[in-house]
Amino acid sequence: MTGSVAGFRNLVEALDAAPAERLFVTEWIDEDERKDVTFEEFRTQTRSQAAILGEHGIRAGDRVIVIMPQSIAAMTTFVGAMTLGAVPAFLAYPNFKIEPSKYRAGLAGVTANLKAKIVIIDEAFPDDLLSHVTLASGVSSDQTKLLRASNADIVSGVLPTLPGHELNSDDLAFIQHSAGTTGLQKGVALTHATVLRQLDHLAEALKIDGNKDRIYNWLPLYHDMGLIACFMLPMVNHTPVVMQSPLDWVMHPETMLQIISEYKCTLSWMPNFAFQFVPRRSPRSRWPQYDLSSVRALINCSEPVRSSSMKEFETAFGAIGLRSSAVQSSYAMAENVFAVTQSVVGQGAGPARVWADGQQFRVNWIIPVAEGAPGAVSFTSSGRLLPGQEVRIVSDVGSVLPPRYAGEILLKSDCLFTGYYNRPDLTEEALADGWYRTGDLGFMLDDELYVIGRKKDLLIVGGENVYPLDIEEIVTSHASIRDGRVIAMGVYNPDLGTEDIVVVAEVEREELLDDATTIEREIRNLVISGLGVAIKTIFLKPPKWIVKSTAGKAARSATRDKLFREHRELRAETLEKA
Amino acid sequence: MTGEAQQMIQYIAGLIRKPGLTLDENTALVSSGLIDSMALVDLLLKLEEITHRRIPPGKVQPRDVNTVALMLATAQRVGKPRK
Repeated sequence: MTGSVAGFRNLVEALDAAPAERLFVTEWIDEDERKDVTFEEFRTQTRSQAAILGEHGIRAGDRVIVIMPQSIAAMTTFVGAMTLGAVPAFLAYPNFKIEPSKYRAGLAGVTANLKAKIVIIDEAFPDDLLSHVTLASGVSSDQTKLLRASNADIVSGVLPTLPGHELNSDDLAFIQHSAGTTGLQKGVALTHATVLRQLDHLAEALKIDGNKDRIYNWLPLYHDMGLIACFMLPMVNHTPVVMQSPLDWVMHPETMLQIISEYKCTLSWMPNFAFQFVPRRSPRSRWPQYDLSSVRALINCSEPVRSSSMKEFETAFGAIGLRSSAVQSSYAMAENVFAVTQSVVGQGAGPARVWADGQQFRVNWIIPVAEGAPGAVSFTSSGRLLPGQEVRIVSDVGSVLPPRYAGEILLKSDCLFTGYYNRPDLTEEALADGWYRTGDLGFMLDDELYVIGRKKDLLIVGGENVYPLDIEEIVTSHASIRDGRVIAMGVYNPDLGTEDIVVVAEVEREELLDDATTIEREIRNLVISGLGVAIKTIFLKPPKWIVKSTAGKAARSATRDKLFREHRELRAETLEKA
Repeated sequence: MTGEAQQMIQYIAGLIRKPGLTLDENTALVSSGLIDSMALVDLLLKLEEITHRRIPPGKVQPRDVNTVALMLATAQRVGKPRK
């Protein structure tokens, strides 16, 4: 099918309408092992999972938490719960990369908030984590349980009889979490109608065709990019999807090239860092084995999207068939189900880019200038608003700003959430008069939205706005600095009543630290000539000093904490930015 | 101590770069904070290279890589011989 999914009353009805024999999910495990299910097999497994949950007392409205490795079984369990009218939520499965104490705290916090009747884990889930799971209170203990799913639970053949429940479009479909893998994430509860409206807009913008398209996914299903773009979208649009575990991708990003080539995938979504991560961590000598000519859209969903990252990917893989129009952008968030904007797919050479006068930009005014003009800063568009989306750019005092002025992005839409699950306090902070305060900074230009970065990361130096990503991009261009291993931050200077710019950067090789004075001077000159602002302190560090996120990119707040731990003088002399 | 264990210890010593620190097969690495959990991707890749086995990362928990002895045992338990 193509286009509209709006005719369906709920997500399960959309799944039921899928062609029986069409392949739905291919679970890519490694070069030798894959699992396939058709839509009919997926439906059968889903109803089996629903029957098992029904036998365990799950009914409409009950919360069901799924903590399983990325797999077809996890997907059928999730939809099985939805089939009963229950409200499922995926949580991250523990793994070697997640700090155990952080995972335990996140597990305890999220399960306590959701108060699920059942938490479904797999056979290998570590026993020592079980005590950190909180189940629903107010019901007897024999009605709440941790359920270990096993492959034996998945039966095929005759569909079992399910507890009767008519799914309404305004019933809650599921809860997705707003950010991160762990920690006190915010649960976003969404109705079937809300999700279907988003999927309708997205399918239309991307011109999804279930007969021709095939989605490639390495993103976790507990994240909106994985859950909405790579699971719900293909499920209701009857589009095949090839999925691999995020951990396999991080370990061997080359597998992305392999899978897209082998399955001729046409669509995929990635965060910004992945556009650099894949070319840098895949053996260049093997690139010619692959063919990316099938890809019609590879969508960068970060805030902000960086043209340098996208260009690096295009340049690396243009020789193996990647079209220049394939790398696209979108602005998306869990609170809006997923996408707010989407660049035009299939036309031109990717998203629009604008160069703006750097001095004027720091007072929030965008004046386009010629590409590469001295002191100019560049921005890449996240695309046009999808239907049903309305955006306001507002100043610090809440005044609505016209196009070409930068401020906080507020959003109102027909697929916006109505509040954080069980968190009225957070909801009150985030929503006002139907507008959602995104916490992102951006501007509108020629009807396209440009996202600058997170408001909390903004540095205010002498009354001017400075964006850490702009400083980091300049510092990383220095030949002695490791690509992507730079963090710029603001440190409050109580004497001046403003923020000082502090930069921490890794050198390419440890011996370069012997030339630290020269490198520091060169970096200062680059930043002052590029942006017109001065760096107060530069900390040059050996390779691998900067804390990396779970997927290998520089982790801003963790690196800041580490720097403050090692350099007590920073804490002693200054106060941290609130 | 096996050659594989020696190679892993040598690699980890280079990663930690702490003068005077002595590592053996049973030195706690993750739980003691000697190794940042974020560095474990590179460590698992090294383990794959040294053992000539493909290690499914989804089957590895932090406790499985806490010592070099545990890493090598994990590689044997969950790893597949490379082609």
